[in-house]
Amino acid sequence: MVVYPVLELVRASLGRYSITGLHRGWVGPRNYGRLLEQEALSTVVGNTVTWVVMVVAITIVISLGLAQLLNESFPGRRLVRWALIVPWAASLIMTSKLFVWLYDYYFGLVNRALSAAGLVARPVDWLGDDATVMGAMIAVGVFVSLPFTTYVLLAGLQTIPGEVYEAARVDGASGWRAYRSITLPLLKPALLVAAVLNLIYVFNSFPIVWTLNDRNPGFAHDTMITYMYKIAFKSALRDVGVAAALGVVNVGVILLAVIAYLRVARWREEPV
Amino acid sequence: MGPMRTRRPLVLVLLCVAALLSSACGDGGKAKSIKVVIAEYSKDHTRPFWQGLAEQYTKQTGVKVDLQVIDWNSIDQQVSTMIQNNQPPDVLNLNSFSSYAKDGLLYSADEALSPKTRDDFLEPFVRGGTYRDKLYGFPILASARAFFYNRDLLNRAGMTAPPRTWDEFLQAARKIQALGGGVIGYALPLGPEEAQAEWSIWMWNNGGDWKSGEAWTINSEKNVQTLSFLAGLANTHKVTQVNPGKTNRTDGAFQLFKDGKVGMVMGFSPLAAQLDAERKLNYGVAQMPTNTGTPVTLGVEDYLMAFKKKGNQEAARQFLDLYYQPAQITRWITAEGFLPVTKSGLQQMSGNEKLKPYLDALPSARLAPTTDPTWDKVKLDVQQNIGLAVQPGGDPKQVLDRLQKNAAESGR
Repeated sequence: MVVYPVLELVRASLGRYSITGLHRGWVGPRNYGRLLEQEALSTVVGNTVTWVVMVVAITIVISLGLAQLLNESFPGRRLVRWALIVPWAASLIMTSKLFVWLYDYYFGLVNRALSAAGLVARPVDWLGDDATVMGAMIAVGVFVSLPFTTYVLLAGLQTIPGEVYEAARVDGASGWRAYRSITLPLLKPALLVAAVLNLIYVFNSFPIVWTLNDRNPGFAHDTMITYMYKIAFKSALRDVGVAAALGVVNVGVILLAVIAYLRVARWREEPV
Repeated sequence: MGPMRTRRPLVLVLLCVAALLSSACGDGGKAKSIKVVIAEYSKDHTRPFWQGLAEQYTKQTGVKVDLQVIDWNSIDQQVSTMIQNNQPPDVLNLNSFSSYAKDGLLYSADEALSPKTRDDFLEPFVRGGTYRDKLYGFPILASARAFFYNRDLLNRAGMTAPPRTWDEFLQAARKIQALGGGVIGYALPLGPEEAQAEWSIWMWNNGGDWKSGEAWTINSEKNVQTLSFLAGLANTHKVTQVNPGKTNRTDGAFQLFKDGKVGMVMGFSPLAAQLDAERKLNYGVAQMPTNTGTPVTLGVEDYLMAFKKKGNQEAARQFLDLYYQPAQITRWITAEGFLPVTKSGLQQMSGNEKLKPYLDALPSARLAPTTDPTWDKVKLDVQQNIGLAVQPGGDPKQVLDRLQKNAAESGR
């Protein structure tokens, strides 16, 4: 069931297609060659690395804090735990459209809040200014990735037995020291799961980049996923074959992530 | 896990059988059902109309209709997938046709329309749907752009009439912008959504064009001058919204105009319908400002196409003939707020006061070169690139040179 679409993708990447989608014969690896010729490709690959690394890294750092917070008992903890699920439950497209409005140069709340706080002298065109588009997208990517990541890490925290901390306290280690020498090492399996699943998820993410970047001409802020779509339907290339070639590359990237994960996971399970 | 493993192949087999059965209907003998793919012009009117039409058609002919109403954002992708999988629609509505005609996928008007239907089409739209001397793209509806202005802002800036020339336009934009308080002179949407439309209007009103005869003339001297003028509006005179090369039409320029922040914008009849429904804005509609003395506007024709499949010719013809009955087509076009494409429709709708400015503009309207299959790529190239020319530091000539080069190459 998983293999069939991949085979179809590989097949499509070896074909020559008319702009209408009509199959016109086989061209072997030529679509891959044409993909490599694309001027935008290096920018797009760079964007993809920035997008994935930044979203995953920032998400994990914030989630570590959130999970720690939610692991403590405090009044209203239940409510906060529920509230955290909201961005997860909302559709990515709706969330992205909401952020388009929040970021808007003329109507957006972000600019209003920042200028009210005296942080900016004039409004910023968050989604139009080349310097801020990627950051604005990463912020949304982090926002929607937090719930899942926090819950994975929270689950991890809850598997750490309290006695370990007590023992540490007896030995005189507390606070930051205990966190570094006990919590983080014991949290490693959960961190690994969170990192790899987020990596795949964020790499594959289409709606955020597509929606927040839809006003910008060209490919300056595209990732490999949105670029694939643009090659097929929204650029002068308009070529399903070349897009499929990039699709095969994308599947390959995910496959690598999965293999790396499996190897690390197995290494972890083997007795030392 | 056990039961799942055995059940999955069975489901697959059933699906395959079902697929075979449904596609087999087309072979040998007459089609028992047709697939009709329509773009969604509005949530309120598109599906109800076509659903009703399909039911009526089935009642009359006994042929079932698989109706798919698809939003504009994904229709290109979905139609492409249908054709890749060798399951094209029988009847398709889209904003382009010539690539499909070039690939030999379509019936011509002689094959798919009764002579009476064919003869009712308005002549400009027949020309706009012709590929190699045959009509393949049947007009489904039309729209025309017009120049919208905010009367209150114009008056506050000391003007009583909308600008008619580019000089007057620039003066008007500067005066409106000078009102201050975040007021914008002109909303210029050159983002990817519809940049080719905005560009066409400015280009034509300076005497330039996409093509001259068979050759592309995208980087003509006139066109470089026009694009430099637009870049000047943004960067020298600063009379546009922020980043016009990165502003789309619907949620960008139109939104600002609806909100009363903008003095002038290029609009069309559906925008007027929204403004009338909201009743917030005191606006006027005029002809495009021109730099040549003769205002030109952009007409847009959308198409219906009939795909060649075994045994479906009669069924497709009957469906198209039903849509083109004057009562049907006019009812729908009126509901959606667009313009007629048939002689009978024009007659019926000419009394509509609201449509007057657009109907008046129709004779001077020009269409994009949709009859050239290369256009389908040129359009996308323009959408992805022309906005870059009006960004600070953008180079209009360089952008147009590149577009010209790509157009000339893909035309070969």
